[in-house]
Amino acid sequence: MGINWKELANNAKSRSDIYGLMSTVFREEPSGDLIRDMRSPHLSEIFADLGVELGERFYTDLESKVMEELAIEYTRLFIGPGPHISAHESIFSEMDGDMSGLWGVKTVEVKKFIETTGLDYGKDFTGLPDHISVELEFMQKLTEWEADMWHQQYRKRAEYCLTVQGKFLDQHLFCWVDQFCDAVVHQAEIPFYRAMAELTKQYMAFERQSVATDTAA
Amino acid sequence: MKKLNRRNFLKLAAGGSSALAAGLGFSQGALAGSIKLQEGGRDFSPTTKKALQAIPTACWQCVTRDAMMGYVEDGRLVKLEGHPDSIRTLGKLCAKGQAGVNHVYFPDRILYPMLRVGKRGEHKWKRVSWDEALDLMASKLKPLLDAGTPELFMYQYGRHKGSQSSIMHDFMDAFGSHTIGTHTSVCEGPKWVGQESLWGGMYDNWDYDHTDFVVNFGSNQFETHTNHIPTSQRLIRAMVDRNVPLYTFDVRLSNTAAKSTEWIPINVGMDGLVMLSMVNVIMNENLFRKDHLKYMRVSPDYHASDDEKIAAIKEHVAKFTPEFAEKESGVPADKIKQIARGYAKAKSACLIGYRGTVMHYHGADQERAAMLLSAITNNLDRKGGRVMGVGAGWKTPHSPKAKIQKGLDIVNGFPGEAAFPTHQVSQQNLPMIKDGQNGRPKVYWSSCNNQAFINGNNKEAEAVLKDESLIPFYVNSNIVYDESSQYADLILPDVTYLERWDTEDMVSPTGIAEFYIRQPLIKPLGESRDQGEIFAGLAKRLGIELAYTTKEEYVRQACEMTPGVREAGGFEYMKKHGVWHDKNAKPNFGFYEAKVDVSGDGVILDEKTGVYWNYKKAGVSEAEARSKGYLGVEGAKDAYVAQNIEGTPRKAYPPNTSFVKSGLLDFYSDNFAAKGFPPFPTYTPIPEHQKMGKDDLHLTTYKVAVHTHSRTAHCKWLSEIKHDNPAWINSKTAADRGIKDGDRIKVASDIGEITTTAHVTEGIIPGIIAISHHFGRQHSGIYGSGKSSPTPGGATADPDAKNMWWDKHGIHPNSIIPNSSDPISGGQRWMDTVVRVAKA
Ligand code: SF4
Repeated sequence: MGINWKELANNAKSRSDIYGLMSTVFREEPSGDLIRDMRSPHLSEIFADLGVELGERFYTDLESKVMEELAIEYTRLFIGPGPHISAHESIFSEMDGDMSGLWGVKTVEVKKFIETTGLDYGKDFTGLPDHISVELEFMQKLTEWEADMWHQQYRKRAEYCLTVQGKFLDQHLFCWVDQFCDAVVHQAEIPFYRAMAELTKQYMAFERQSVATDTAA
Repeated sequence: MKKLNRRNFLKLAAGGSSALAAGLGFSQGALAGSIKLQEGGRDFSPTTKKALQAIPTACWQCVTRDAMMGYVEDGRLVKLEGHPDSIRTLGKLCAKGQAGVNHVYFPDRILYPMLRVGKRGEHKWKRVSWDEALDLMASKLKPLLDAGTPELFMYQYGRHKGSQSSIMHDFMDAFGSHTIGTHTSVCEGPKWVGQESLWGGMYDNWDYDHTDFVVNFGSNQFETHTNHIPTSQRLIRAMVDRNVPLYTFDVRLSNTAAKSTEWIPINVGMDGLVMLSMVNVIMNENLFRKDHLKYMRVSPDYHASDDEKIAAIKEHVAKFTPEFAEKESGVPADKIKQIARGYAKAKSACLIGYRGTVMHYHGADQERAAMLLSAITNNLDRKGGRVMGVGAGWKTPHSPKAKIQKGLDIVNGFPGEAAFPTHQVSQQNLPMIKDGQNGRPKVYWSSCNNQAFINGNNKEAEAVLKDESLIPFYVNSNIVYDESSQYADLILPDVTYLERWDTEDMVSPTGIAEFYIRQPLIKPLGESRDQGEIFAGLAKRLGIELAYTTKEEYVRQACEMTPGVREAGGFEYMKKHGVWHDKNAKPNFGFYEAKVDVSGDGVILDEKTGVYWNYKKAGVSEAEARSKGYLGVEGAKDAYVAQNIEGTPRKAYPPNTSFVKSGLLDFYSDNFAAKGFPPFPTYTPIPEHQKMGKDDLHLTTYKVAVHTHSRTAHCKWLSEIKHDNPAWINSKTAADRGIKDGDRIKVASDIGEITTTAHVTEGIIPGIIAISHHFGRQHSGIYGSGKSSPTPGGATADPDAKNMWWDKHGIHPNSIIPNSSDPISGGQRWMDTVVRVAKA
């Protein structure tokens, strides 16, 4: 049909993997597995190539030490106590009074949006519905589904999925992700989260362009 | 860090996937369940909020036959929309398609068999049972079988496609009659004849998904087209997303012309000439591509070299300079050059054309010019170009054929009228019955064909239908009382397409076939009955054995017989999903290049034509095959194997139609030469136009977006949008005659006169008048004609009829257009009529 199904499927799957990585990074303190993988020659080479600087000590310190330091940094940055970055869309959205803040209007919107696609919040999930990692995971799932639709040659459904992604990005993620990343860059004390925030911001800029093109395709 | 681009995006993705494998291994995601996104294919009742029953089926308002979904609530059809999984339509339907609902519930619908009790045309009817109706038909048909004259039973159809067509042919074969009339010659016959003489097939589509440049001659692509929804949305997308230019040559500013990059006004009947002058520019400026030359024959010599072919093409078109074309066509020479250059230089380009190009004297030859323009730029059957359409190849059940098989020679025009009527000369069927020299049917059964409305000189057609001495027994299958059924002896209440089963097969613009079915959305209303079931009822009475007893069973068998569909789950799968295509299929671009094994038993090379053919399959000895050659043995074309292309046997363009030819594109056609027609595409002035007086005007017709030719007037939503057809006339032409916008005017041809209203506009070239051909209905129910039909029900059955606010119903131009055929193809020359116009 004049369509390179495989290429479209691969492209969507690539986006899904990147969203997955970012979702994992911001969800909670990094695991040993994740650190080990990010320090592997394969990934470290890719990061070096992209200019993503995780800091020398990320690669040279003992794994247990890196884990410990990142856990402390994660808590300080995103959990508190004390001044921290509340990684929720409703906190970053500018709305009057009670409309913003935790479990604000945006939280409800995000929850509804996600649920209308058939997904649900897992029963073990204890966070809030509009956490950055949830929104990134939602995009991961949408793009994964899109890849599957291309794979099955359901053009209409894949295109519709792109439209849904575009809507979610425009109405939610794009509205606050840059501010969030800037805050992380600004407040991070060790390079890891700063680099990850920069990477996320860059990727979102890339998405802005490519999703706009894809949804029009 | 670096800015992300496509290259490092892919790298990052590779990193993401490996990190994911590790990262998400321990981290529980927040989200559970699975995505169930669905656009289309679901709908809800606005009152109860409950999901409506969604049934996949197919549209039939026009020949495009788009796969769609029907929504039913409490047994009532409430809505139609595109099928979301159709690779052809991508889930879209046009306005006509959505208004299909109106067919089922319109107040004047015929719901019972009706027997005429007054004189023909007296509109007196008696409702009869199906048994009475079928017994009566059988009593007229049985004597024909007994007398060994099955050909005296004529079946005349208009829109029958897919299984509706195959089941009818099966029944007629079982009966033994080949007297079957179609309607293609009033529609587009010359286009197909032109293509068949070259291509070995027909039906072009265009790969808009990949094209870079589109030139359109006289096709109203965005409003109405034989593959409308699949193609027009792709062309629009190409224009919007990729800035693909569309140049439209037309006498009228159609909505397609209006949405084009540029509308190029052109004089009537000059499309072929402008195409040839584009060929002239492309050849002389060396902008052609040699790739396709080896598949082209442009002179009597089958073995000409590329250089000889180039020289021959140049010579053929030498006189068609842009300057000459400008004089005749009114298109500035510089414009022709500009478009020719753009077309030739584009990486890929589509050349489209339709009725405006071909429904003329020598219309078939104009289509050959369009094919030439495509071939010399290597835009034939290539990505982004004009491609042979690919449809679904259903297998269908076959009943035993009657021993006696005969047909009356009344469907191909009067003797000598058309040289290659491969799509018949249906506008002359009734005139030939009147004439009688080739015999007359005793039983005439028409279905979905309004002969007294759709043909030229339709008043004559009406008179023939009215005359019992010419047509002794006339049966009409219909859903509405119309210009033809009013004269029937028996009217059979047909089901609408929303109440019946069918396999469907319309071509896909993507080069990958889509198999789809039509299934009933609701139970047939009243006593309406599918033709398939009527055939079964008649067969029982006539002692004919059929391979099915119901249409549903016929479709079920087809689904179980057809490779691919069968493996996907056959009938049950199709009932549930409606559409199927082979996910591993590739578009058929470049199919002609396929290498062919010629080592089979009986395959020999014909030196003269370069054709490999199987003399054994042709049923002759090797000695006879060699002495007579491929062209000298009758039926040899059916034993075609391959064409020798520069020493390699390739599929090329097999002679799959009635034209005897090699595997080369016959731009030089012996078939044409033998019948005294120009063997190479050329410009032949239209005789009537050569004799025009100073005050004469051309009359052309056209279609609007919301109606089919004759089957939609009773659809209230559509008639509400469009019910009148004032005549388009240029302001200068009007001023010359003292005509102002809205004036009543008389339009007279050699065969009659009509009075209509002038629509004075700059959107049409001077010197012509254009009248659309859907309106001016004598009968078509309350919404189409303003008159309720003399059948049970009537307008009182629809309270909405009180809300009908329009009282204009237009005028039908066909009564002043004579039936005259393209001598090559037999196509009706809708666009060649000369008229005089004056203030009424
Ligand atoms: S183009 Fe319109 S009328 Fe024709 S089949 Fe498609 S939806 Fe129906």
